[in-house]
Amino acid sequence: MPRLRFITPARLKELGIVGMNMRNVRLISENNPRRLFPLVDDKLKTKVMAEAAGIPVPRLLGVVRVQQQVRELVPFLSGQPDFVIKPANGSGGKGILVITGREGEGFVKSDGMVISRADLHRHTSNILSGLFSLGGRADVAMLEERIIFSDVFDGFSFQGVPDIRVIVYKGYPVMAMARLSTVNSRGKANLHQGAVGTGVDIGTGCALLSIQHGTPLKTHPDTGKRLADLVIPEWADCLALASRCHEMTGLGYLGVDIVLDKHRGPVILELNARPGLAIQMANGTGLMVRLAAIDALDQPHESVAERVAFSQASFRSQ
Amino acid sequence: MSSKIQLYTLVCLLAVLGIGVTVYKVVCLGFALSPSAREMVWTVEAEISFDADGGPVEVSLNHPDNFKDLVIVDIVDIVDENIGYTYRVVNGSGGTRALWSTENAKGPQKIYLRIKAYRRGSAEGVEPFKRENDEPRPPRLSGAAEMFADTLLAAAKEKQSDPVPMAMELLRLLNDPENNTGASSLLNLKHVLDGPLGVARALLHRAGIESRVVGGIFLGAKGAGTPYRRYLEVRDGPYWVLLDPRTATAINSEAFLLWQLNDESLLEVIGGSNSKVSFSSVENSMLANVAAIDSELGRKSPLVDFSIYTLPVQVQAAFKLLLLIPLGAFVVVVMRSLIGIRTSGTFLPILIALTFLQTTLLPGLALFVLIVSLGLALRSYLSRLNLLLVPRISAVLVFVIIIYLAISVISHKMDSDVGLRVTFFPMIIVAWTIERMSILWEEEGVKEVLIQGSGSLLTASLVYLLLINRLVGHLTYSFPELLLVVLAVILLIGNYTGYRLSELRRFEPLK
Repeated sequence: MPRLRFITPARLKELGIVGMNMRNVRLISENNPRRLFPLVDDKLKTKVMAEAAGIPVPRLLGVVRVQQQVRELVPFLSGQPDFVIKPANGSGGKGILVITGREGEGFVKSDGMVISRADLHRHTSNILSGLFSLGGRADVAMLEERIIFSDVFDGFSFQGVPDIRVIVYKGYPVMAMARLSTVNSRGKANLHQGAVGTGVDIGTGCALLSIQHGTPLKTHPDTGKRLADLVIPEWADCLALASRCHEMTGLGYLGVDIVLDKHRGPVILELNARPGLAIQMANGTGLMVRLAAIDALDQPHESVAERVAFSQASFRSQ
Repeated sequence: MSSKIQLYTLVCLLAVLGIGVTVYKVVCLGFALSPSAREMVWTVEAEISFDADGGPVEVSLNHPDNFKDLVIVDIVDIVDENIGYTYRVVNGSGGTRALWSTENAKGPQKIYLRIKAYRRGSAEGVEPFKRENDEPRPPRLSGAAEMFADTLLAAAKEKQSDPVPMAMELLRLLNDPENNTGASSLLNLKHVLDGPLGVARALLHRAGIESRVVGGIFLGAKGAGTPYRRYLEVRDGPYWVLLDPRTATAINSEAFLLWQLNDESLLEVIGGSNSKVSFSSVENSMLANVAAIDSELGRKSPLVDFSIYTLPVQVQAAFKLLLLIPLGAFVVVVMRSLIGIRTSGTFLPILIALTFLQTTLLPGLALFVLIVSLGLALRSYLSRLNLLLVPRISAVLVFVIIIYLAISVISHKMDSDVGLRVTFFPMIIVAWTIERMSILWEEEGVKEVLIQGSGSLLTASLVYLLLINRLVGHLTYSFPELLLVVLAVILLIGNYTGYRLSELRRFEPLK
């Protein structure tokens, strides 16, 4: 049993760490009008909006809206060996089923397990009955094309979906983190579920610190790869993509989840109006200083490119 | 930032209002902050007996009055004993009187009136003595009587000059007619001058001392037969001092219950004879707040008149509990926003705490853990069956009822009724809790279930301890306005942007 140790509030303040209360009162309620939440909570709306704005997202194959459509699912997907089924209103990566291929009548999941047609139907039914949505409300199931991940994350992530979370404040990318799945997280990129969070330098796209379950670590727990060696390619493009989501949604405090497709480059996976705070630990520094720097600007930059350049110059770690 | 100023103004307003009303109720209306503060209360019974002549009868008895620190709380007609008489209260020139009447009565009759009085700590706010400006003029002396009086006055003035000691000296002289011809001569006039007290008043008036006659009983004497007597009061500056004319001494008026002032008649019986009234008193204690609410003063205050105390008793009892719920919410706010304890469901802990009120704490905790663990075990089997959401929760609900039944039956067979209390747990909520915890288990692992489960139970236990606290219950019920203060604090916490206690641990690796 490790000894219970605490950090003083004064030191936290000095580091500029944003706490839960500060996030909820200052950042979310002051910057994110409630009426805009459905735009990001409903992934279907996000996708439609992003496609209209010309922002790259995984292509939508179809939507299952009512139980009767579940039976048509397999014939509908006959030409599509690999695909993703996800709830439009899911949170924290819940209910996302990734099928990488077929094996006879069965479907191969991303972890290699094969599930039957009945399993697929049941999962879709569960999504429709609201099992994965907030408050158990009825939901719709989205069918998406599967992202073919760029191999930058090879060795840095165990199965699943490695993604990059960028915090965008008033259109400026302020902090970033790569979320790497582990055996412990069962292929999920969610930090709550045991994924590794590796801070990414806004200036360079190079890895900073890494944490898992709130404690620092140096190497990936499953692959043993040194996490500090991670470098995100096309970094400025990633930041520009994240920055554009501000205009698209109107949200002032936004978490943008980006995945790197082998062929298409950075693609927006989803948006989050209430991004978590663990990113500060992966960066070894607090958000407050950076938010204050943006609040202090006399004249916010108009263009995405200017904002990204400002962020890269201001928030580099080295 | 105007929203912030608004918030702080609101918070100040609520706090000032809540505390202000509380202070007013304590200081001016006599409410007590402590739940066990008691007031001495006397129950006095007046028994009127007479022989009815066999026709219509009308009996009236003067109502007692507030006197100094003694406050009349309640005057009731004892219906059971006074069958056949209609009772009403009349306000006439002779003051407030109780009036009984009947069409036909014969033989010995008994009528009872019961009053409650308590003594207030401070005289402040007590009704002033009634009809102060309507004092009857004291009887006048004339001729030889004046001369006798002047000799007595001269003798008294030799010894005393202040009104009260002088009055006592005069009374002493009057009480000693054997050795004092002046006194004996004056007392011969008592039939003309309304009795010996009338003589005394006439004498005092000549000495320039204002006086009045009061009749009543002294409370505190236990049991039956509290003697009804008439006394003399003399004015000393702004005060009235009670004197016993028989012993010529000043007496402590603290426990004196005034029933009659000057020439008010105490008892009037029309249509009967041999009437007499006797008094008995019993001393007991009463909760301070009950006394404060019941008193004349309390009834006149809109704060009491438009409040929870005017509701039917059953509804009051319900509010006793309801008024505590905001405090439960306050505990949840503190635990979640300041300490950072995770609970499953925001207000689930309050519901569990309310259940604990029925089951008591330890059996409640044990039963809750038992139900939820059994439910989770059964639910984990259900998840293998792959059911739709609503049927699955319904199945869990059926499980929960079966678990309730099993626990009750097994416990009863083991000769313990602890298990029977399981029925107090709200089933639907327990079923949802099991369902949510089960999903949490599958998605976040058993650790998160234990964290949220124990967080909920810890919070529920704290809320429970608050709910059963006598002082807290007393304060919320007697001073519902304190809820405004709770609201103010909750609003303040709602605007708190500092760190939670748990975050000092969470961000510790940054040190």
